[in-house]
Amino acid sequence: MRRIFQIDGTETECWLSHDGSRFLLNTPDGEIPCRLDPAGVPGGYVLRARGRVQDVRLAVGPDATFVHMNGRTYAVGRVDPAERLAGRDSGTADDRIVAPMPGVVVSVKAKPGDHVKEGQLLLVIESMKLETSLIAPRDGVVAEMPFATGDSFGLKATLALLAPQEE
Amino acid sequence: MGISKLLVANRGEIAARVLRTARVKGIKTAVLRHSSEQEGPAHLIADEVVTIEGSTPVAAYLDIAQIVGAAQRIGADAVHPGYGFLSENAAFVAALEQAGITFVGPTSGVIDLMGDKIRARAFVEERGFLVAPSAIEDDDPATFVERARAVGYPLLIKPSAGGGGKGMRIVREDSTLESEIETARREGERYFGDGRLFVERYIERPRHIEVQVMGDGQGNVVHFWERECSIQRRFQKIIEETPSPALSAEQRNEICETAAGIARAVNYRGAGTVEFIYARDGSFYFLEMNTRLQVEHPVTEMVTGFDLVAEQLRIAAGEGLSATQADIAQNGHSIELRICAEDATHDFRPAIGDILLLDEPRGEGVRVDSGILDGGKVTTDFDPMLSKLIVHGPDRAEAIARARRAVQNYVVLGVTTNTGYLDAILAHPDFASGDVSTGFLAEQAEVLTAPGEDVSDLLMAVAALSDERLVADVLQIPEMHRKMGGWRN
Repeated sequence: MRRIFQIDGTETECWLSHDGSRFLLNTPDGEIPCRLDPAGVPGGYVLRARGRVQDVRLAVGPDATFVHMNGRTYAVGRVDPAERLAGRDSGTADDRIVAPMPGVVVSVKAKPGDHVKEGQLLLVIESMKLETSLIAPRDGVVAEMPFATGDSFGLKATLALLAPQEE
Repeated sequence: MGISKLLVANRGEIAARVLRTARVKGIKTAVLRHSSEQEGPAHLIADEVVTIEGSTPVAAYLDIAQIVGAAQRIGADAVHPGYGFLSENAAFVAALEQAGITFVGPTSGVIDLMGDKIRARAFVEERGFLVAPSAIEDDDPATFVERARAVGYPLLIKPSAGGGGKGMRIVREDSTLESEIETARREGERYFGDGRLFVERYIERPRHIEVQVMGDGQGNVVHFWERECSIQRRFQKIIEETPSPALSAEQRNEICETAAGIARAVNYRGAGTVEFIYARDGSFYFLEMNTRLQVEHPVTEMVTGFDLVAEQLRIAAGEGLSATQADIAQNGHSIELRICAEDATHDFRPAIGDILLLDEPRGEGVRVDSGILDGGKVTTDFDPMLSKLIVHGPDRAEAIARARRAVQNYVVLGVTTNTGYLDAILAHPDFASGDVSTGFLAEQAEVLTAPGEDVSDLLMAVAALSDERLVADVLQIPEMHRKMGGWRN
């Protein structure tokens, strides 16, 4: 059974198996025998892996597993490779300017059909009382500007879309 | 005149903190809650929860008529504003006065004077206290840019109605002065409804040192010593401590007496804080006065042993101060860490999410003023600060050690927080030696956000083994298929 794990923006595809006595996590760097046993506190476990015995606290969210270990907190994104294949959309990452957090549009500086240069200001947003300027990631033509000044938007909303690049 | 029922016109950790003291004093309590807001610790402490409505939750907490109406309806004879929201709003104080309700804080006249940075500066300067070189737009708008230029670079542009670092801009080169003025003006208009600006000389590598004062409105003012608040990101404090590691006993007395003198000059009533910019040569300038309880007041409580909210309530009830200056001493060292839902490795981007697991540290010398509950939701409706971790130790080294242990044991899972970043600051040798300025976090950004030991494989093992669907699938697959595997490299 495969999973793609995302840690600090890096994706790693793994395969979990069981050899009858223990779990094995197969990573691109090799096979890790591992085991996780509950400890007496909420979300508390003991991880045994890579020769280490490690107390952890964990919570499993819908898309990510949150882990507290050695005084630090980590988020591990989980993707089922099968679901990703089914749901993939056509636009590539640099065509789309996605809201880094929910907020409000302060001003719109481009409209569909405009030719824009890399670095050109497309729109200004405000999130959590901070003003952020969003710029064109490359030269191109604006395809969509879905929001007007004063509109609110949610996390990961598409704020601007460039027409696909002609090769 | 006493207080029999107190409405706390605030939310989050500060509402809970004020309510705790009010309860101990035997006062009946009530607190606000917006109709869309999650239950928080304050709602569990208060005797009564008053629902407020508004187009946004923040708008509801700023709705003077609605809040004064709520206080009247429930028969509250006093309102504590906490910090932020209406705590420094003279119109709110006037509306309460009109309704015959006691405001726990200064008079509307003092709030008006100190809330306007320009008038406050002029007032303080006239009385012989030092302020930094500056240019005020209102004096002559036509020559503002010219006069700003004359202040010299680097300079700092601030909205005159501002606070909390909003709309502040450092300008180092003449070529960007005019565009930065326009940006600051736009931000000032949006955050404060007021685009007026002023400019002052930016002191390089300064410290931010402030003094807690308390007055009874009858001419008696005492100070509760200083707080060092130089650890800031985006002009907002995230670690505060007392005593300041920068001050000699003589300098400490001088700066604290200066603050008390400024408070005396306005016959101050209630709790207030006088903020100073402290230059590396030991000179200091008046920055502003905050006419309310500060976020970081607990460090003062930890070293002086006074409950500042109890003092505020005494003064509001006409009972005066409980102490004279000679009774107020500093014992040991205290540090506060602001636990915020934000990603320190991505420009302090605010984070949202559900709190899936919460386990806050406890122990000797550890205090947590928390605004969150296990199972709660962190949204962008409010400020990203979730709670405050405050520690006390016999000396600064022990306080730092306790703070590190406590923040490492602060478990918040489900939303990104700055606990690891706060620990990295505490571990930095310059923090340990006390050699910091307000630019410290920006200067050391790379060191402070450096990734630690690579534990990716351990994390993936945890994520895989706690993935119930994955584990169930693995255990059901017959041996033969498992050997054939789906693993491709």
